[in-house]
Amino acid sequence: MKRNSYLLIFAVTCLLAACKSSNKSNVPVVGFVDAFEDATIAQAKNGFVDALAKNGFSEDSGTIKIEYQNAQGSIPTLTQIVNQFVSEPVDVLATSTTLSSVTASQKTKTIPIFMMVSPTPERAHLLDAQGKAPANLFGTVEDLNYIDTSFSIIPKLLKPKGSKLVIGMIYNQSEPQSADAMERIKGLAAKLNVTLVALPLNSSAEAQLVTQSLLNKNIDAFFANPDNTVFAAFETILKSCEQKNVPIFTSEAGLVQRGAVAAFGADIYQWGYQSGLQAAQYLKTHKTDGLKPEMVKIRKRVYNPTAAKKYNITVPANFEAVK
Amino acid sequence: MEFYLTALLQGLCFAGIAVGIYISMKIFNIPDITTDGSYTLGGMLTGTLLTHALPLYLSAFAVLVAGAVAGAITGIIHTKLKINALLAGILVSTALYSVNIITAGRSNLPLVNTPSVFNVISFTTNVNLNTLIILLFIVALIIGLIGYLLKTDFGIAMRATGNSETMIRALGVNTDRMKIIGLALANALTAFSGFLMTQQQGYADISMGIGIVIIGLGSVIIGETLINWLNITSVWASLLLVLAGAVVFQLVLAVTLTLGVNANLLKLVTAALVLLFVSLPRLSLLRQHD
Repeated sequence: MKRNSYLLIFAVTCLLAACKSSNKSNVPVVGFVDAFEDATIAQAKNGFVDALAKNGFSEDSGTIKIEYQNAQGSIPTLTQIVNQFVSEPVDVLATSTTLSSVTASQKTKTIPIFMMVSPTPERAHLLDAQGKAPANLFGTVEDLNYIDTSFSIIPKLLKPKGSKLVIGMIYNQSEPQSADAMERIKGLAAKLNVTLVALPLNSSAEAQLVTQSLLNKNIDAFFANPDNTVFAAFETILKSCEQKNVPIFTSEAGLVQRGAVAAFGADIYQWGYQSGLQAAQYLKTHKTDGLKPEMVKIRKRVYNPTAAKKYNITVPANFEAVK
Repeated sequence: MEFYLTALLQGLCFAGIAVGIYISMKIFNIPDITTDGSYTLGGMLTGTLLTHALPLYLSAFAVLVAGAVAGAITGIIHTKLKINALLAGILVSTALYSVNIITAGRSNLPLVNTPSVFNVISFTTNVNLNTLIILLFIVALIIGLIGYLLKTDFGIAMRATGNSETMIRALGVNTDRMKIIGLALANALTAFSGFLMTQQQGYADISMGIGIVIIGLGSVIIGETLINWLNITSVWASLLLVLAGAVVFQLVLAVTLTLGVNANLLKLVTAALVLLFVSLPRLSLLRQHD
């Protein structure tokens, strides 16, 4: 029965490996949950960490421990990550993007959750029958108003080729905020006397195909509605649009850095920073008094000088160039 | 320990998928990709029905029927239209994406204050323990029913269809119908996994089924290793080991997480650990025979 001893050794090793010495020190622990990997979204974490550091909680000085886990787009992994943080338990949960926030909110009602890059609890359908959000939800959220401002820049900066301005956009059917945004823009386009051509897609793999089919519809501009698919496939979209001389507008500063012409909207880094400030306040006082999900405060008007020059677009003076 | 308990719960929620894949893959030798779609179908349907205040038992029944229909469609495409099983599964799974989005009306559906099978009866005040007790009961019921079914004449005909189709057809069994029923059964179980998982994680999401077939396959292969290793022929024990496979798969993930492995290496480590587990019997063959 030699093999059984192998099995025994394996099992014991697993069990021993699983026993992490849980010596609770006085250093507060933050469990940071990211749902997937993305260059722009990752800035939220940097902002969050910087805000904590500014308030005297930094890993370098040993005043805080930030445990970072990324689910790489897998929901079972995401659930396990949140379970792990809840059962440790960490002092504070930080969640970036909608899916992480929803998972955390459903898994704990006691540990304060500081959301970032997430919609309002109401838009995430997290309100109970009395219309109240879970009491442990804090952080920084966004509703759909930002879209109005970003979208209405386009007619101001661009002259239509034909009689009416035609703007193309793609939206991701599998993301609530993306589909919501599309509905919103539809209504907006009607008001601004703009024709909107919106095509749905389901994954970033389809982005190139759908973008090409949009460009064949003779659009004047492309509105990159910042959802996970657009973030992931932005370079593809950019390349296709550049070939057809179609400028891209968006509502998020990170995408302007990557080549869109202009945006008026939240800055992902600042978004994380704002949540970090809230988390720092909680860690200092250990009270949640006065904390609630806040709207994003810092919205920036930014433009990309290279892209603006390429399309001969004169950007108003109140826009700042991205570095 | 609490964390391992939650991993165990997650593993038990995947019991339906594991048994479903066991039926399609091991019994019928059909690689069924419908799983990705029917799991999400189960989840989204559960979310939709529960938020519309439908009682639990009706929701569960609806989920089982919906999953069975999805599986039956794959079966019909595969047997009647003579289309490769993989493609049939991919087609149905792709079509289900739209069905799922339309069903729920949105892509992410949190369950707030809806009834759940896990708090129908309260045995203890500890939520996770209570969930465990109820899950064990549900899983025992699933294993019991499927085990019993595979023992009946009908089940034996099913198993024989996978083993030797020509022979069983010569004995007058309609093998096409067998396959359709088998796939319907497998996907009903998969959808039921989605039903449990949605309540366990508190929301349904359109992307919850991505790559879920791998979890089912992993469970079946781990179970398979144990079955071969321990020379098991009984249907009951096989089903139990497949279930154990599902639990082990999630526990491996949990161990990797607690070790504080860099998130980028998570999948690699999971694969390596499963590989180690599956290759252990092979390693023992390297020893000198005395």
